[in-house]
Amino acid sequence: MNAPPLRSAAYEVADAYEANELFQDNGWTDGLPIVPPTEDLVRRFLGAAALEPGDVVGVEPVRRRRITAEKAAIAAVMAGCMAESMPVVVALVRAVCEPEFGLHGCTASTGGSAPFVVVNGPIRRELGMNTTHNALANGSRANATIGRTLRLLIINVLGGLPGRLDRSTLGHPGKFTFCVAEDEEDSPWPSLAAERGVPAGVSAVTVMAAQSPHQVMNEWTRDPREILETYAAAIRANLLTYSIWAGNYAVVIAKQQREAIAAAGWSKKDIREYVFDSARVRRAEWRTAGKSAIAARKDEENVYTALRSPDDLLVVAAGGPAGGFGAVVPPWYGAKSLAVTRRI
Amino acid sequence: MGLRVLDPRLEAEGEPMTMAAPLRALEGATIGLLDNAKIGTARFYDHVEGILRSRFGVREFIRRRKPDSSRPAPPELLGELGGADAILSAVGD
Repeated sequence: MNAPPLRSAAYEVADAYEANELFQDNGWTDGLPIVPPTEDLVRRFLGAAALEPGDVVGVEPVRRRRITAEKAAIAAVMAGCMAESMPVVVALVRAVCEPEFGLHGCTASTGGSAPFVVVNGPIRRELGMNTTHNALANGSRANATIGRTLRLLIINVLGGLPGRLDRSTLGHPGKFTFCVAEDEEDSPWPSLAAERGVPAGVSAVTVMAAQSPHQVMNEWTRDPREILETYAAAIRANLLTYSIWAGNYAVVIAKQQREAIAAAGWSKKDIREYVFDSARVRRAEWRTAGKSAIAARKDEENVYTALRSPDDLLVVAAGGPAGGFGAVVPPWYGAKSLAVTRRI
Repeated sequence: MGLRVLDPRLEAEGEPMTMAAPLRALEGATIGLLDNAKIGTARFYDHVEGILRSRFGVREFIRRRKPDSSRPAPPELLGELGGADAILSAVGD
């Protein structure tokens, strides 16, 4: 039986160097070099996801762009993925095409967000994903290339080119890639996916439109309230200096603080409830952040919460074993984009 | 030996779009003003409306505000603008 045909146009180039030059010259990459997407490689990646080239993996809801398996595989090859990462890529594309994610808005916005991706379940280990040292940055091929694949799809399939559909004023470095895996083996708590309804043993991906992560540090206490107050303070600062609107925030908690929080008997639910109660500001506080021009437009005694409810907080266990560090990952723009979890 | 590499972009689908014919004149026209719901848009359109009315003789305006700046205008809202001879869409950040 003949293999179904690929639909993409093909170009002859001398070698891998010239392939990269072609893609750079045409603006088909993020500026970093690409692996040439040849037919053999693209078919191998499609096979790893058990998909036909024309299968529609997702449809961007606003401009109705249909992301086919063929284009997803091309982007994954270009990004340097292993073929075995394709099921994660496919689940990720499906997740960002859910209407509540608002992919068009967060791509086009001057706010300049990036999709923040969290991988859970057995596939993390199968792909050798990094969950510990340098968890938010370079640490494994899979973390780096899965996140990058989504960026290349946004550029090439959705037209998310800077200055064109992507109108970000600044953007942030996570727009190259921003993919973490939770340290489930060394966490005292259920995984993020489990908390969002995914059964144990099933791999899943969660994605939220996020601003750049902000590191926090408090290694001077083992009191969970004190530790979490540091996260809440960073979130309050974000409410005042960036955006006051409530939505999903993520906190990434490294091992040293996890141990202290868990030793006090606190669960992820306790963390969410504490942060929900504490991460709120009065409108009048905008005056402390140079925003007095807008503070008076409404009642300055109004209180703004960072989270609409405790469930808006995504709690992720990741990071190296030493150091009282964590990170706050703020949302792009309140609840205009909501975090989405999809099984892999 | 060379390589054949595949185009990563999406192929165009559907019929090509064409530009609407330009208005012959603004005198007596009805102009739709689609507000993207950002904080400065209404004030900007007040200004535009004044200029179009006093200097170009525009007769009527249909002003509608999107419910959400980050999502497309709902079809009913676009339908209400359908009676205009031309529509302006502006971002008022």
